[in-house]
Amino acid sequence: MMSRRAFAQGVALLALLPAFSLAPSAHAAGEPRRGGTLNAIIQPEPVSLTAAVLAAAPTGIVGGNIFDGLVKYDLALKPQPELAERWETSPDGRTITFHLRRGVTWHDGKPFTSADVQWSLEHVWKPLNPRNPALFRNITSAETPDPHTVVFKLAEPSVALFSMLNGNGAQILPKHLYEGTNVLTNPHNAKPVGTGPFVFKEWVKGSHILLERNPNYWDAGKPYLDRIVFRVVPDGAARAAGLEKGDIHYAPLSPIPLRDAERLAKLPTVKVGTQGYDWLSPWLYLDFNVDSRHFKDARVRRAVAHAIDREALIKLVWFGFGKAAISPVPSTLAAFHDLEVPKYPFDPKKAEALLDEAGLKRGPDGTRLTITHDFLPYGEDYRRTGEFVKQSLKRVGIEVTLRGQDTAAFTRRVYGDRDFDLSSSWSGSFPDPQLGVARLYSSAFAGKNIPWSNGSGFRSAEADSIFKAVESEPDPTKRIQAWKRFQVLAQTELPTLPLVELRFFNVYSSRLRNAVTRGDQIFGALTEAWLDEPEKKN
Amino acid sequence: MTRDVLRDGALHAARRFGQIVFVVLGIAVVNFFLLRLAPGDAAEVLAGEAGAATPEFMAALRQQFGLDQPVHVQFAKYIGNILTLNLGYSFRQGMPVSWLILDRLPATMLLMGASIGFASILGSALGFLAARHAGRLTDTVVSVVALLFYATPVFWIGVVLIVVFSVWLDWLPVGGMATIEAGYTGIAYAVDVARHLVLPALTLGLFYLAIYTRLMRASMLQVYGEDFIRTAVAKGVSPRNVAARHVLRNALLPVVTMLGMQIGSILGGAILVETVFSWPGLGRLAFESLFQRDLNLLLGILLSSSVLVVLVNIAVDLAYRLLDPRVEIG
Amino acid sequence: MATIAIARQEGGRRRARLAQRIRANTSAITGGVILLLVLAGALAAPVLYPGDPLDMVAAPFIWPGTDRAHVLGTDMLGRDIAAGILHGARVSLVIGLVATLVSIVIGVTLGALSGFYGGRVDAVLMRITELVQTIPPFLFALAIVAILQPSIPSIVVAIGLTAWPSLARLVRAEVLKIRHRDFVQASISLGVPHWRIIVLDILPNTLAPVIVSASILVASAILTESSLAFLGLGDPNVASWGGMVGAGREVLRTDWYVATLPGLAIVAAVLGLNLLGDGLNDILDPQR
Repeated sequence: MMSRRAFAQGVALLALLPAFSLAPSAHAAGEPRRGGTLNAIIQPEPVSLTAAVLAAAPTGIVGGNIFDGLVKYDLALKPQPELAERWETSPDGRTITFHLRRGVTWHDGKPFTSADVQWSLEHVWKPLNPRNPALFRNITSAETPDPHTVVFKLAEPSVALFSMLNGNGAQILPKHLYEGTNVLTNPHNAKPVGTGPFVFKEWVKGSHILLERNPNYWDAGKPYLDRIVFRVVPDGAARAAGLEKGDIHYAPLSPIPLRDAERLAKLPTVKVGTQGYDWLSPWLYLDFNVDSRHFKDARVRRAVAHAIDREALIKLVWFGFGKAAISPVPSTLAAFHDLEVPKYPFDPKKAEALLDEAGLKRGPDGTRLTITHDFLPYGEDYRRTGEFVKQSLKRVGIEVTLRGQDTAAFTRRVYGDRDFDLSSSWSGSFPDPQLGVARLYSSAFAGKNIPWSNGSGFRSAEADSIFKAVESEPDPTKRIQAWKRFQVLAQTELPTLPLVELRFFNVYSSRLRNAVTRGDQIFGALTEAWLDEPEKKN
Repeated sequence: MTRDVLRDGALHAARRFGQIVFVVLGIAVVNFFLLRLAPGDAAEVLAGEAGAATPEFMAALRQQFGLDQPVHVQFAKYIGNILTLNLGYSFRQGMPVSWLILDRLPATMLLMGASIGFASILGSALGFLAARHAGRLTDTVVSVVALLFYATPVFWIGVVLIVVFSVWLDWLPVGGMATIEAGYTGIAYAVDVARHLVLPALTLGLFYLAIYTRLMRASMLQVYGEDFIRTAVAKGVSPRNVAARHVLRNALLPVVTMLGMQIGSILGGAILVETVFSWPGLGRLAFESLFQRDLNLLLGILLSSSVLVVLVNIAVDLAYRLLDPRVEIG
Repeated sequence: MATIAIARQEGGRRRARLAQRIRANTSAITGGVILLLVLAGALAAPVLYPGDPLDMVAAPFIWPGTDRAHVLGTDMLGRDIAAGILHGARVSLVIGLVATLVSIVIGVTLGALSGFYGGRVDAVLMRITELVQTIPPFLFALAIVAILQPSIPSIVVAIGLTAWPSLARLVRAEVLKIRHRDFVQASISLGVPHWRIIVLDILPNTLAPVIVSASILVASAILTESSLAFLGLGDPNVASWGGMVGAGREVLRTDWYVATLPGLAIVAAVLGLNLLGDGLNDILDPQR
């Protein structure tokens, strides 16, 4: 059966045929094929395209194609040269010298130099980095002995710094367009000028963002795609339909309902993959408000942990896209992940015993205590996680009132007013727990109305001293030991209950090749990606 | 006599203008304070989306958005802006509100126009048919089918139409407003947009179809009972002509009124349809601005849609005059 | 010729009138029966399905008709759909009825005051009504739910606060008609307190159109709740039809019954209410 659209494409291809027949063997056997428009989905619509001023995921996904970083991360999360061709660290760990790639230009034609890196450090990374300002404030100065060398001087050695130097974590902005302006309101944030493989072309709000191939890209011959259109498609069912039909070739960040992902994965024309998220390493957890009436007692928190069957949660709610989490450091951070932490296997009897011990006996209606649960307002999966938690806790005598709300109300309530008992959230750990995990447990963030930071209100001098020590510890082995100590502490006190190591997924057309070639692919460029010829339909 | 009409017209225009000013100020005052009751602010939303923030970053955002000023200062500024026909600035989007609205307006007008057109024309035709065969099978079938579409949730119809017409039959696109990569211009572009418009307009229109069908049917039956129709029949005008010329013309009046009343409601319905079909219109923009606490933008949309409703109603009054010279504008 | 035509036309009209009365009654009866079924379901829910309808009682995605214990199957979390629909009937009816009650209280009060006193009172109240009418009602309801946070009471308030203007206008028009009748004028000259006149003399006469509008308002409230739930603003603590459709749409392509069965319940209830409203309209207002 040949559809009208396929027919139209066929006609268009016939017209191009002579051009292709000149090089018939060029894309035989997996050789990249040049050209074509990649139809991608971006959801939700980003606010800005410049990750340096806004670290939101959609910003990173689109902007990652426009900006390069000093380094990129391979599938093992080892830094690889990108704008920095090579680098060396002094023996005391306090001086890092980057040798920048020569002949790189910004999309407006101006040369890229060490001054851009220096300016970005001083005016963007240090004052504005929302994730880890301390990481960059540790860099006391950046010297530029020549246009192709930049030298970072560090107050203390920093191992974690090398996990944050890609185009997302430390985005370099063009000094000549930003100098003397307010970085947050600079109009280029919405029409960025980068050095990356794709050039920003247009952004029609509510509709799409169009990027075109950078013909002057330093990696000669790349990228392969002519164009990327990121479409805004608000409805999950419509996204699934577009992918199923082949209209959409690429959709990152778990774009469709999980059940549809399961279904589409079985089609020959669609692929579902979970690679490319390791740099992010997302995990889902419950925050107990440790200042609340019932959860200030660690036994009650442990009882909740025993009452939730994580395997069932993953199967029923997450359709297998996840792994039971046993520690706040996900297993994707293999070196840091500790298997010897206190574990809380699903055991309702144990949960009930703990609740009895805490003096919370079942009342005449079978209820021991009533709590509220604010679930993360990011869609159906999180809502269903909340419903699952509610039903699980009901079985051990904890009555849960679910509270739905929008994101603004959620962050105000949980992180600002602290008017909650139990909340759910997800967070990225990043390759070093210092970058993504510490903020969830550090007392420096407790009760400061900073979204997604220490929701439980946990305050522990021991944890704080571990965080302080790992920041400047140059010995990797000692750092790993410190992190293992932290995990035992975190799982003993249990202010936060790790539930699931989330497996975000991409859905792509089987025509799209090499869409994932790096560990930070989700926020990196589709430099290597190429589109194979459409399948012949009969 | 002409002078009277002119004077009436001028008076009428002045009153309408007064009404617009009242509506604009009323909406501005009510919504300015109402929306500020919503917990959380735009800075928290942005920080929330970033997945992380620092106190310094939040403070910088609040200052940039003007959220660090007392509410009465913000309000005075806002009213000052409105009085100079300035809808303010959307800090989140980094653009003046009026640009954003004008940007989305064509898509919304197109969707509203197409669905209202579809609903009112087909609805009137079906209502006409039902009234002509009042009490017979045709009447019952038409009424029940129209009612069924009315009773089915809009979003459900939308998703089913996508599955049937886009995925199974592959006749129409899944969503969006145009084939972006094709770079069509001129007629090809118009055709492309029209293909994208069919399903959303149908979905939104089907809901209103029932309303127009029932309205038309009821009002036809009522007009049939009036004296001048009986006179026409007595004069020997053929039933078909009576129906088409006299009854239809007069029965259209309530349909036109309904059009005016429904503009606001359709913008609300458009939120659902624009969501299902990724249609880049105002309804979706309003919905998102609400959740992003982009209050300047949301207020701007509310204000413009209210003014639109008033304007459409003025147009309806004029249409009334054309359709029925007996009507005096009250 | 002309006389015959008139006679024929008269006969035709009489026939049409008769047909209309019959139709009205069929319509009212059909609507009434559907509603009684919905009501019966709502009342039977705690008997047939005691306990929480949101409880995960079985394996997920049991198809309807394949398991005797779960005749309408289960959803993605293994919740019984039949239990959800029956319990959901209670929630949907309560939302519809209470929201309509809120609308009626506001609409009838404003409409009656406006129509009875006229003049400035009328001008002010009608300007307010017009003002509310210019705001897209669904958007207004969304904003109210977002401000109050999604829960059954806030959904009821949101729908009630946005649906009253048409009722206010309707009641005002009716009151204007009745206000100048002799019995009202007599009461006024006798010095009967105004509120007594409004409540005892005038409002009973506006009852018929209010009842007809109310049935339509209940239907539209049920639809609005489902739309709010579709956009993620339902109350997560109860099984409501809208919430079930909203959750089920994610699996529409694989397990269509999850969203469709509660969807059919919505269709049935809305259809029933509209048929009843139509029928009552023709029965209560025989001039039409």
